[in-house]
Amino acid sequence: MRRLLGQPLVVFLLSLFALFSLTPIIWAVLISIKQPADAFAIPPKLFFEPTFRFHYEIWVERRFVEFFLNSAIIALGTVFISVPLGTLAAYGLSRLESKMARSYLMGLLVIRMFPHILLLIPFFIVARSLSMIDTYPAMIAAMVAINQPFTVWLMRSFFLEIPRELDEAATIDGCNAWTTFTKVILPLAKPGIVVTSLFSLLLAYNEFLFALILTGSNTKTLPVAIAEYGGEDLNYWSLSAAGAIGIMLPILLFMLFFQRHLVRGLTIGAVKG
Amino acid sequence: MTVQAFSERRDPKAAGPTPSSSARAYPREISLWLFVVPSALVVLGIQLYPVLYAVYLSFFDYHIGQSQPRFVGADNYLALLGQDRVWASLRTTVILVACSLAVEFALGLLLALGLYKLTRGARIFSTLIFVPYLITPVVAALFLRWIFAARWGLADAVIASFDIFPPDWLGSPVWAFVTIIVADVWQFTPFVMLILYAGLQGMDEALLEAGKIDGASGPRLVWHIILPCLRPQILFVLAIRLMDSFRTFDSIYVLTGGGPGTATETLTMYTYALAFKQLDLGRASTLGVLTMLIVTGLTLMIISLMYRRERGAF
Repeated sequence: MRRLLGQPLVVFLLSLFALFSLTPIIWAVLISIKQPADAFAIPPKLFFEPTFRFHYEIWVERRFVEFFLNSAIIALGTVFISVPLGTLAAYGLSRLESKMARSYLMGLLVIRMFPHILLLIPFFIVARSLSMIDTYPAMIAAMVAINQPFTVWLMRSFFLEIPRELDEAATIDGCNAWTTFTKVILPLAKPGIVVTSLFSLLLAYNEFLFALILTGSNTKTLPVAIAEYGGEDLNYWSLSAAGAIGIMLPILLFMLFFQRHLVRGLTIGAVKG
Repeated sequence: MTVQAFSERRDPKAAGPTPSSSARAYPREISLWLFVVPSALVVLGIQLYPVLYAVYLSFFDYHIGQSQPRFVGADNYLALLGQDRVWASLRTTVILVACSLAVEFALGLLLALGLYKLTRGARIFSTLIFVPYLITPVVAALFLRWIFAARWGLADAVIASFDIFPPDWLGSPVWAFVTIIVADVWQFTPFVMLILYAGLQGMDEALLEAGKIDGASGPRLVWHIILPCLRPQILFVLAIRLMDSFRTFDSIYVLTGGGPGTATETLTMYTYALAFKQLDLGRASTLGVLTMLIVTGLTLMIISLMYRRERGAF
């Protein structure tokens, strides 16, 4: 009885919060498809003729497509280096039971807690002395390093689910550690690799602080471009909103695909690296 | 950081190598460590080494453009500890972290309980509420800037329609503070909700039924049964949010830039200003090291809480 009575109240409260969560996004979508004069009319105009002029202008004429490519290169580069390294280490650590392995895993957690700004300063100094500011490798190296603890922990959780008896059986069949890994374990860990790759991709795609300092006109990523994008005319709002919406869209797609794995990825990585 | 780490208890049987493998355990262990080596080199070379370098720099006077760092001993530390701006930014950080954490935890728990109570539609609600968490933080902050922008923002439009003169959200020190907390709450409450909800789903329902039979209801049920069951998730979520909100940068940079004046300048923002506006890399490293010490202290506190549970003291 109580359960039934409570339902409408629960639904109401959840709807209220969902509205709170979605309003800023809907508002931004509206700004991006309204004429500036309509977008800032008070009270807000509910009926208007939508326009996609600003979307076209920001992505094509103002080079946001280029920034998207930079973001994609850096994010993919990060995944292609970080995930294989992390997968190897995660396998080793999932099978090791010594105290040292446990301490190493704890050490990775501690490293994950370092303030990023503290890492950024030496990164900047080294990249500057090697003239690597505004190059892809500098940014990719930074992202790989930052992602490593997360990648290892997440992949390890998948390897822990694969029974050790398989390793032992493979050893008895004459596999050495490497062939056990590549021929027996790795094929079973494919779903884990996909999930880990996507989370690493998202982390690198969202990164701002490092990109702000390590990228420049040749390698600027979307978050930096949209944060810098300014201007005083009213069109700026519409253009900027169109850019922001475009940056968000791939993430929504990501969400649709990965709903099932969200909790695991988050409990292990807490995406905001 | 993982929930696992907060709840993992070692299975005594799994602690040692099984008899069948003990004969070859030693060479196997070495080959397993070889798998770890490449990743460990990256972690040591591109993460641990830079941190040590920053610690080293914190004892030097070093500005961008200067050819050689000049050793100054503990001068940077003494100078910073004597600076009002450092203490102000520490206070700002602590208040921001405490307020956001408290609101996010309360709301997140309420939402998780709501989802748990919901007979159907939980998935749709959690998806809708979850969207802000995954959005690029810079973009999320921009979305909120358009809500709180003076005169043109949605917040002003709504408030003005009630014939109330809206506050200057981003321009007055107190409201700028509130705006940043709202931004943090907007983006990170879903995370707290999702983790706690996952914990609720894994809970033993028999415990709840037993509680109900004993006559507990509502808040007492939550306090005496649900919260103790969720202990690992709660510790995890608080630890993660503590560390992450301690280094919040993106949203403050976009919303207020630390302003007005230095009203919303956190430790991270001030370190950034020292390094990349005043170009004083030595002092910036020093402030970074101090921040690291504070965060590490808090983290160790949480880890010790977690181990106390593993020993069965709770």
